Amino acid sequence: MRFRPSYLLIAFPLAFLLLFFYLPMADILRLGLWDNGPTLRFLSAVLGNSYHRWVIRFTITQALSSTALTLIIGLPGAYIFAKYDFPGKRVIRAILTVPFVMPGIMVALGFILLFGKDGFIAHLIGRDPGIIYTWKAILLAHAFYNFPIVIRMVSSLWQRVNPHYEEMAQTLGAKGFRLFWKVTLPLISPAIFASAMLTFVFCFLSFSIPLILGGYRYVTMEVDIFSTVMTLLDFRTGSALAVIQITLSAIFMYLYLRSLDTYSKREEQRILQRPQKLGPRDLLSLKGLGVVLYSVLVFVFIVAPLLAIVYDSLLFNGHLSLENYRRVFSPEYNPMFGVSTLGAIKNSLLFGFTTVVISILVALPLAYLLNRWDFRGKRLLDVLVMLPLASSPVTVALGYIMVFQSTPLYYTFWIVAIAHSIIAYPFVFRSLSTGLTKIKRNLREAALTLGANEWKAFLKVELPLALGSLIVGAIFAFAMSIAELGATYMLAPPEYTTMSLAVYKFLGARHFGSASALSVILMVVSAIGFLIIEKVGEEVW
Amino acid sequence: MVSVELRNVSKRWDGFELRVDLSVKDGEFLTLLGPSGCGKTTTLRIIAGLEKPDSGRVLFDGNDVTDLEPNERNIGIVFQDYALFPHMTVFKNIAFGLEMRKLPGAEIERRVKWALELVGLEGLENRYPEQLSGGQQQRVALARALVIEPEVLLLDEPLSNLDAKIRERLRSEIRRIQRELGITTVYVTHDQEEAMAISDRIAVMNVGRIDQIGEPLELYYKPWTEFVARFLGTSNILELEAENGVARLGSLEFSVGVDGRVKVFFRPESVLITEGEDATVTGYELLPGRMRLYLDVEGHTIIAERPLPDLPFEPNRVPPRVGILVRSFSLLSL
Repeated sequence: MRFRPSYLLIAFPLAFLLLFFYLPMADILRLGLWDNGPTLRFLSAVLGNSYHRWVIRFTITQALSSTALTLIIGLPGAYIFAKYDFPGKRVIRAILTVPFVMPGIMVALGFILLFGKDGFIAHLIGRDPGIIYTWKAILLAHAFYNFPIVIRMVSSLWQRVNPHYEEMAQTLGAKGFRLFWKVTLPLISPAIFASAMLTFVFCFLSFSIPLILGGYRYVTMEVDIFSTVMTLLDFRTGSALAVIQITLSAIFMYLYLRSLDTYSKREEQRILQRPQKLGPRDLLSLKGLGVVLYSVLVFVFIVAPLLAIVYDSLLFNGHLSLENYRRVFSPEYNPMFGVSTLGAIKNSLLFGFTTVVISILVALPLAYLLNRWDFRGKRLLDVLVMLPLASSPVTVALGYIMVFQSTPLYYTFWIVAIAHSIIAYPFVFRSLSTGLTKIKRNLREAALTLGANEWKAFLKVELPLALGSLIVGAIFAFAMSIAELGATYMLAPPEYTTMSLAVYKFLGARHFGSASALSVILMVVSAIGFLIIEKVGEEVW
Repeated sequence: MVSVELRNVSKRWDGFELRVDLSVKDGEFLTLLGPSGCGKTTTLRIIAGLEKPDSGRVLFDGNDVTDLEPNERNIGIVFQDYALFPHMTVFKNIAFGLEMRKLPGAEIERRVKWALELVGLEGLENRYPEQLSGGQQQRVALARALVIEPEVLLLDEPLSNLDAKIRERLRSEIRRIQRELGITTVYVTHDQEEAMAISDRIAVMNVGRIDQIGEPLELYYKPWTEFVARFLGTSNILELEAENGVARLGSLEFSVGVDGRVKVFFRPESVLITEGEDATVTGYELLPGRMRLYLDVEGHTIIAERPLPDLPFEPNRVPPRVGILVRSFSLLSL
């Protein structure tokens, strides 16, 4: 093989990962496991502390319960989506994309407005439903985020269950529940398992939701690390906690990726069962009523928190007015977070776009390399590239504070953008990998034999074909950057306060009206991402 | 056009070894024929530059191109699944190679038009590949490969994804175009009938080696190995002991010219059926205009195939025993 300039493109992502992920992680490991030699003293101090022990146990139980609730809500939807075509299916499907792009802080606010002791439901039933600041709110919000994933993955596989299997089993005498249990369930179980694992990992690392909805009592490890570092300034304990968190989440992430492999293999099957068409007449049957009821519930579940925010933003002293918006944009709030509201919007967009650019620069060469070339150590590189997925924003930020504190990078725009990129790029990478895998290799070869060099073949043939997955990945990166709270809080200087951070500060100061008004703006920005994903459609669904 | 030569080319992967020496003459249509996994596609990809050989050289007209990239070799290739760019129209697909060569727009237009006419697809330039039938896609792939005026045309099982009817029509069309342009062509297939119908010469490949290379008739009637004999058409292969230069089986005598164990080979149509008692008829099949007879001579099975008028009996009255004569035979390597 001759040396190709494209090798240099690989150098950037590798150097980036080394400097901005592995170096900070190594420092966390050093602080958590080293004191003039390897020691488990700090780990056992954490594990011996009843509060931290409770947090670890709660983090796992809430993730398990959230996953269970997510499956309970999502699986009927998966069935309905796989089996039936009905009026309004497109709308519901579009609505299901919404949670993907909605920032956690906003969802938390929506839930407070809906379920809080002064919220809509409290007014409706005349008493506090007792959900907010308990584990129930955390579970509900997690389900809100993740049940669309279950619907998407499981229905996709359910549609690919070759009808001949079920028909064969029926001729052999299986029916009803036995048919489902013995034939259908084993065929769709990879999707159930993979989507459950993904949900579990998300819930395990969740930050904004438990931070705001859990109150003081229901704290997850991510929140625990955050407050240990930011409030108690105890980096040693924070690192020890982070080591435990990374270890656990790496195991969960590994299980998820393994289950995803099985899932993807099954998903390659091209046999698609046509969903049964339900006309307006069928909607009155039992089946139809089920579909309608479920669709309405999904609609309410997703849209209600958002509507609550919009409504609250327009309410001032019990009257409909734009006063909240006026206040948000007036200079009187500037001292609260060190920047004007317009400035916060600009910051969010700037971080978003920078994150998109950096994550593509990191993810694209790596995805291409791992998909197209065979070389020694490929498996290892694969793991090294995906490991950041097992870390969390707060952990990354903790590492950055320790490593870059005495460098000019510290407390700048760039360190925040880089933190966002490290968190976001694995998603761009996954999306691109899926896209690239679907492109037949001989298209590139055809281009080469027709006179294109490697670079031209990539630009003219492969990149256009992978564009959909690139855009979807970019939107995810953008949405993550916009939504990010923990790392931004820990790393951003006041003049780089983002919208999410501003909403958080409004919430802390109990300015719900202002928080809502700003959230509506945040919602609009996120909705643009949602619209683009809808446009590129196929790739996500 | 150029001649193509593979000199001591070898490549190993997954415990499989390919070793090939091959020379394709200028303007020749040569077919690599063999079962799947014999290394014929890899051989083609080595010619294209899509695979690098572990050792040996690839020569175009005597010039060493082994280290040249595919885009530096001026070849046209058609893949089994056509590999049409799904995001480009027919026109764009065919124009791709010309654009890579930075030809002016008018020249590109003129050449694409020529190529579309050559393959009979005028008027479809604005369609996308998914809007075409399999046969049409195949023609686009051919046009795309030919429009760059390659020195060598490489075809990797180009017809195997098509219906039998279209396959036959396209194969004669490929041959017509190849003759018209006089382009040196290497064609890969596992279909012996296709190979026989289309080729100047055939190279039969077997587990990474070329067993025999020659004109279709030569391969058919004078195969060197049992593999070649069995791969092309139906064969009779008798393992016999020869004494004084003659091998005998019942009334059959083969003057083999050597002594000891021999493998006598002949085709079913070389067996003449007479009235007699030489062989027992163990079965027969009526084919269009012909009859295939399964005969037993001293425990050896012989297959005979004759046109119906040549049979010494009525086709609906096959006798239990017949006389046989073998008109011509050859010996296979042991």
